[in-house]
Amino acid sequence: MDRSYASALVRRVTLAVAFLAPMFAALVAVTPVSRAQDPVTVTIVTDTAGLGDQNFNDLANEGLQRAATDFGITPKVIESQDATSYIPNLTAGAEQGELTIGVGFLLTEAITEVAEQFPDDRFLLIDSVSEAENVASVTFKENEGAFLAGVVAGRTTKANKIGVVGGQKIPPVVRYVVGFQAGVKSVNPNAQVSVAYADSFEDPALGKELSLAQFNQGADIVFPVAGRTGVGSYEAAKEKGPTFLVIGADRNQEDLAPGQQLAFVAKGVDTAVYTVAQQVVENQFQGGQQSLGLKEGGVGLGAPGAMVTPEVLAEAELYRQAIIDGRLTVPSTEEELATFQPVNVGTPMASPEASPESSPEASPAA
Amino acid sequence: MSDFFTIALLTATLRLSAPLVFAAMGGLLSERSGVMNIALEGFMLVGAFSAAAGTYYTGRPFLGLLIGTGAAMLASVIHAFWSITLRGDQIVAGTALNLLGAGIPAFLLQRLFETAGGTPAVARLPTIGGGLNVLVPVAFLLVPLVHYLLFHTRAGLRIQAAGEHPHAAESVGVDVARYRYACVLASGALAGVGGAYLSIGDLSQFTVGMTAGRGFIALAAVIFGNWNPVATLGATLLFGAAQAARVQAQALNLPISQDLLIALPYLLTLIAITGLVRHATPPAGLGRHAATE
Repeated sequence: MDRSYASALVRRVTLAVAFLAPMFAALVAVTPVSRAQDPVTVTIVTDTAGLGDQNFNDLANEGLQRAATDFGITPKVIESQDATSYIPNLTAGAEQGELTIGVGFLLTEAITEVAEQFPDDRFLLIDSVSEAENVASVTFKENEGAFLAGVVAGRTTKANKIGVVGGQKIPPVVRYVVGFQAGVKSVNPNAQVSVAYADSFEDPALGKELSLAQFNQGADIVFPVAGRTGVGSYEAAKEKGPTFLVIGADRNQEDLAPGQQLAFVAKGVDTAVYTVAQQVVENQFQGGQQSLGLKEGGVGLGAPGAMVTPEVLAEAELYRQAIIDGRLTVPSTEEELATFQPVNVGTPMASPEASPESSPEASPAA
Repeated sequence: MSDFFTIALLTATLRLSAPLVFAAMGGLLSERSGVMNIALEGFMLVGAFSAAAGTYYTGRPFLGLLIGTGAAMLASVIHAFWSITLRGDQIVAGTALNLLGAGIPAFLLQRLFETAGGTPAVARLPTIGGGLNVLVPVAFLLVPLVHYLLFHTRAGLRIQAAGEHPHAAESVGVDVARYRYACVLASGALAGVGGAYLSIGDLSQFTVGMTAGRGFIALAAVIFGNWNPVATLGATLLFGAAQAARVQAQALNLPISQDLLIALPYLLTLIAITGLVRHATPPAGLGRHAATE
């Protein structure tokens, strides 16, 4: 051997690093929609899940496109191929436009750094809080929406076993998970909820295995909070059969397993993007933090399936009112969940049909 | 523990290992012939996307499988042309192909389906029971075939000669370039099947980045397996079993840290390399060009 394998390996790695960095940057897809004469450009920078996550990146884009139609802004989307491209992508957004939107908790540090470099630009961070003054931070009380899903799941499960598949263990996902657990516990303390983190938002094959294992261990409902990994949970339910149900997160994903979605937890990422874009157009932009829950219409329970009885919906509505009135505080961390005690919100009226007003809102959209 | 060691754990192991076996056997052939192949991930992605798109347009998953295999093989022609005919750097070529494999499906999704992130749902390959699709047994039958080819046929010995000492092989009249082309194309086809396994075997759609590093794990399995088909199979099964055990433990809510469980497949693999594979000996001519090509 005139060249040792070790040196070949070192060469592999060095070359890979040297070539990967600029090439990844070059791969970044910029998708401008031309509206040449418009003065305000709003740029969305996705996290690595990117467009087509059937989750919050897509929702942010929907809000952006709506704002483009209504306010004549120029919408741009930059998809991030990996975590190292967050800063270059946000910088590109800040250089090109008036408002740059970082979609997702994973962009928190990057947006803070870029916002400090562009103090005259405006930024919106979804799902996390940035300390920079020119960043508007919008978080959601996913736990409140997920709580209602937990109430419905706890009442609907026949097996008294429910599985949750989390993407990565980051605060918005944890809020979903613990809110859901608190909801189940409130109406069905005997139901077991098993929580599995996939550690990826992009691995549907792994998501399918996790949910299959949960179904095989007796669960009849799974709740994926995992981006594209969650697509696998729907596939698992489809494979197991029509009595196995899935709860969607962020947006309606019923088409992935028609007739098997129990409900979904709606999250108003689109509304947040739309509203802040409007503020920028009208020169009303303000930095700072806001958290949108059931009360603000930022989250909600959507599209309950036919298997959800009117009684269960009426009960979910009682809980919704209790949360809005402040009589019930939904835990948002595992510590709070550990000390959470169910609150008596009364019993739904004995009437077999719930009145239309008492159904939870189908969507929190403004 | 009777809840833990179930038939489901076994079938999950097979399901999680099978796509790795396809890609690893492809990588093994390519590397045995002397061409480094870090592009398995890219080939898998091309195969996964093309299989789903092919199934979408033809409505027939077997045609989709064929299209996925062919498309990944086409991608491997680029690798072969660069690495063999142009005598270029095989790592650079592989890196470029991995980037292509990530980028092209995303681009075509926009052009063909006007979506990002994933194809519409398509028909799946048939299953043989137990949640195993028809490609699972094919994956495991492939291993003895590759073993037989490499060690018991004239072509196999020539592949090895091309990989161990291309100059010597040339000097006795072996057409090194031809054997290397064949092996690289085979690696593309097999990795393509591994990708199709994910999109139309295990699932019923392509999603962006769905291989999630499996091509690199397959390449690692080739190295742990010391470029031997049977040992490589062992490495993929070890990883698949560890992943299945992790999934099972998570579903059972076992009182083990989730972080530890998530790391388990990688930890076990590390222990296996340091403990078992002290002396990895790659083909001596790996990455070296033949004298005249």
